[in-house]
Amino acid sequence: MTLNSDTSLLSAALDRVIPPVDDLPGAGGMGLAGEVVKRCEADSRFNAALTTVIGALPSPNDFTALDDEGQDGALRTVESSDPDAFGLWLDVVYAIYYMQPAVHRRLSWHGRTPQPEGNVMPPWDESVLEVARQREPFWRQV
Amino acid sequence: MTQPIHNPDRTADVLIIGAGASGAAVAASLSEAGFDVVCIEQGHWQDSFKFPTTEPDWELRSMSSWSINPNKRKLPEDYPINVENSAVDPVMFNGVGGSTIMWVAHTPRLHPSDFRVKSLDGVAEDWPISYEDLEPWYDLNDQVMGCAGIAGDPANPPRSERPMPPVPIGKDGEMIAGAFDRLGWHWWPSDNYVNSTRYGEGRDACNFCGHNMMGCYQRAKASTDLTYWPRAIAQGAELVTGARVREITTGADGRATGVNYLDSEGNNRHRAARAVVMAANGVGTPRLLLLSDSDKHPNGLANSSGLVGKNLMFHVYAGVSGVFPDHEEPWVGPVANIILSQEFYETDPDRDFVRGYSYQMARGQGPGATARSGPKRVSWGQNHHAELGRRFGNTLNLGVIGDDLPEEHNTVTLDDRLKDSSGLPAPKITYRVSENSRALLDHALVQGQAVMEEAGASEVMINQLSREAGWHLMGTARMGDDPERSVVNGNGQSHDIDNLFIVDGSVFVTGGAVNPTPTIQAIALRTADYITNERKDLKA
Ligand SMILES: Cc1cc2nc3c(=O)[nH]c(=O)nc-3n(C[C@H](O)[C@H](O)[C@H](O)COP(=O)(O)OP(=O)(O)OC[C@H]3O[C@@H](n4cnc5c(N)ncnc54)[C@H](O)[C@@H]3O)c2cc1C
Repeated sequence: MTLNSDTSLLSAALDRVIPPVDDLPGAGGMGLAGEVVKRCEADSRFNAALTTVIGALPSPNDFTALDDEGQDGALRTVESSDPDAFGLWLDVVYAIYYMQPAVHRRLSWHGRTPQPEGNVMPPWDESVLEVARQREPFWRQV
Repeated sequence: MTQPIHNPDRTADVLIIGAGASGAAVAASLSEAGFDVVCIEQGHWQDSFKFPTTEPDWELRSMSSWSINPNKRKLPEDYPINVENSAVDPVMFNGVGGSTIMWVAHTPRLHPSDFRVKSLDGVAEDWPISYEDLEPWYDLNDQVMGCAGIAGDPANPPRSERPMPPVPIGKDGEMIAGAFDRLGWHWWPSDNYVNSTRYGEGRDACNFCGHNMMGCYQRAKASTDLTYWPRAIAQGAELVTGARVREITTGADGRATGVNYLDSEGNNRHRAARAVVMAANGVGTPRLLLLSDSDKHPNGLANSSGLVGKNLMFHVYAGVSGVFPDHEEPWVGPVANIILSQEFYETDPDRDFVRGYSYQMARGQGPGATARSGPKRVSWGQNHHAELGRRFGNTLNLGVIGDDLPEEHNTVTLDDRLKDSSGLPAPKITYRVSENSRALLDHALVQGQAVMEEAGASEVMINQLSREAGWHLMGTARMGDDPERSVVNGNGQSHDIDNLFIVDGSVFVTGGAVNPTPTIQAIALRTADYITNERKDLKA
């Protein structure tokens, strides 16, 4: 799949995989299909998974004509026929969805990158060893 | 790092293959002793300010260009590995620092009993060296790498004072530790090569970012590009990067004469040396020995025993995850450098397996990683948000590290078809989990569940076996006194070739049930001291 491809099928599939919640649209409605394609283009493993999943789904018109249950059924068929490709595609979709600031806000997660700020190291409190220290040495002598 | 100009046509005293945990230690030790040292490394220097943990797509990059799995990373300096016949995928990093760029830096030691499993339990083989033989080099390595911890652990022999106080275990560590206490089971704050205070040149204290497997921006985690290499280079060692060794060369007398390698432009080159030290890890080293076959050595170099590439051990890994609804921020603090329990480390005749295991506590992760990892991926569809909501920000883990006894059918061989970016045959792994290992893991999962429940978990999930967990690469060129049953002697010297040494995890006879790197580095430092003291003939 390339950036110029029709992403309507992918977008519809994304909405079933990560549906709307609270005031957030589903992953497709958030416009993430383009980002998924872009990221997959940069990694041959990801791209192979995306191509397999999209290739195994019905055509865009047929897929969107299905009701929610029918769309989920089509996705489940792909999942069971090629679990590795489907799983990897799902991992990529999850990673991209959970990069979105709006999603972080909904989860009440700070959403900061781990560095450079980091977090605060709590103090070391030796009293936590009170019980563990009472144990006699028990390593096996040789 | 800037280096003086070295003459590439000279004959070095010692040529080291691989600039990772063990190669760096040998380079620093031998250059300090005045040897002319050159190291050939296929990867490159890393810039800690460019690690992906400062980028918004860090979670995605941990699945591709920053994956721990070379088959996913696919960088030119990586080599592919055929894992079709393996229950576990080997993981590693190829570059200056080797796998210590990505390691967690949890640094326990083997137990004295690990060196004597044949005598004590009637399985595998004894090592030709003992815990006491290695102890001085364990201590030295703790100083150079920088160990945070606290002496007094009753599950281990007494240790000298650690150079730094422990990395605080946090509220989550206390919660799990409390469960061990109430069950009457051992736990202790982990020894870590992670700074709890400033330690070492330009290395800050850990800032609890929680993601040191993607490199450490703070330089708080010890990797050998920060610890041993600056010393080695200041002492005159030469480090050639982006250069892939394709074979070790031998002379008419069968002794090692140096290596043939491909430089960063892909040109074939030769480097001459009076001795060769292999530090390419438990997969890279047997691969190179097998690639170095010749009329004189038709089964590969140093392989008269036929054991090169055999007895591969990984440590079997499994895990128990607990959901703690009231816990907050489980991503704060180093990912798995918290506490360990060795209650079930030693053989107990009442159990249906020999040897044992350690528990290593691990923290939760960001939302993307939570969704796709753990014992099982968060489901897609209508239940997705509810399931993620239950797990994200609430999950803590107990990893099980199981002793993985050597078996000759677990191997590294050369693949017939798969090649690396230089056209060299890739390694092929054949590995299955033994009945003993499975029984040991099953026991650990039951006890681990009890710990999580005691700690107050509302839901417990089991991971029967971690596949992408072959981070400990051991046993494929093991040491021993008998040349028919081992590849090198207790000093890491090949039985067949007196100027060829191996210092990485390949030389392990058994794996114990702890992360191996302090032991690998202690062995490397000990071999370096052997060369310094007993092999002065190798110095020009
Ligand atoms: C994600 C992860 C987490 C880990 N966590 C821990 C932990 O918490 N505690 C612990 O004790 N251990 C841990 N480990 C394992 C630890 O990193 C290794 O045990 C250790 O680095 C092995 O040291 P080594 O010198 O044998 O090999 P490495 O450090 O792997 O270095 C080998 C080097 O050799 C180079 N090389 C290989 N072949 C060639 C060739 N043909 N030509 C030139 N160069 C070559 C490679 O590029 C590499 O840089 C972890 C590993 C990983 C991947």
